[in-house]
Amino acid sequence: MGEVIVITSGKGGVGKTTTTANIGAGLSKLEKKVVVIDTDLGLRNLDVVMGLENLIVYNLVDVIEGTCRLKQAMIRDKRYENLYLLPSAQTRDKTAISPGQMKKLTSELKEEFDYILLDCPAGIEQGFQNAIAGADRAIVVTTPEVSAIRDADRIIGLLESQKIPKTDLIINRIRMDMVRRGDMMSVDDVTEILSVPLIGAIPDDEKVVIGTNQGEPVIGLGGPAQTAYMNICRRITGEEVPFLDLNTGNGFFSRLSSLFKKD
Amino acid sequence: MQKRSSVSIARNRLKALVTSDRVNCSPAAYEDICRELFETLSKYMELTEDNFDVEINRNQVIITFLGEET
Repeated sequence: MGEVIVITSGKGGVGKTTTTANIGAGLSKLEKKVVVIDTDLGLRNLDVVMGLENLIVYNLVDVIEGTCRLKQAMIRDKRYENLYLLPSAQTRDKTAISPGQMKKLTSELKEEFDYILLDCPAGIEQGFQNAIAGADRAIVVTTPEVSAIRDADRIIGLLESQKIPKTDLIINRIRMDMVRRGDMMSVDDVTEILSVPLIGAIPDDEKVVIGTNQGEPVIGLGGPAQTAYMNICRRITGEEVPFLDLNTGNGFFSRLSSLFKKD
Repeated sequence: MQKRSSVSIARNRLKALVTSDRVNCSPAAYEDICRELFETLSKYMELTEDNFDVEINRNQVIITFLGEET
């Protein structure tokens, strides 16, 4: 029986979609069967980040409305064994599906997949309600900025009141040079304010931008963000993984260790 | 050289923001809430500043009353 994980943030532009793509790819590298679902109706993006935009025939709304079968809409990622994308509809809006329909879909998918990752739209409206409807757990993504953390706090409150059993935090785009000189909140600062368990912190890494340009998850490109995402994936599967010391994120040791990394 | 780091400003602004977001009222209201709860409950039980505490979480306002010491 699979697990449904919603990836959400409240604020837009903090890296939900990139995180969904990379956790999806990472979990499939750990030999899990994964489907990632873009639930942002009208503004689909996950397909582009994953580089699968030219393969879309059917979408989430088609599946829910019964225009096609589930299998027809899911796109297999050829680079990753057992990774599938269910894309969003670009020409429909958030009222096209209901929380009940999402719940039904995810419980169906749980029969076949180990992990169902839902890329949630920004905001706290119906798109958010749809995405969290069938979720067994949530991952809240934030960046070390006042506005993003404030929105994350509200989202965590909403997840708690909707009785989502487990919520973890990812802090994205940490710049250790700025943290060191006191101009960026540290991982500890952010987790103290939000008081939810940390599941990972992603260093700001230009490889993420390069990967997005190419339509390729950073999981395949190496570098500090890749390491951080792989650690998150292991923690999701229940493995105990020590946290990266981001002080050495861009330094000599991480470069040295990446020389010896076998993928 | 700027002495005060921008992080300490950010932290203070955030703490005030999330507390007021959590109770959906202005940052100054937290003090008022504590004081009025104290006054109201004082009518029914013996409270002191030391045995009474109000903590605001995301979905709860927790009133702690230590009660009689034995």
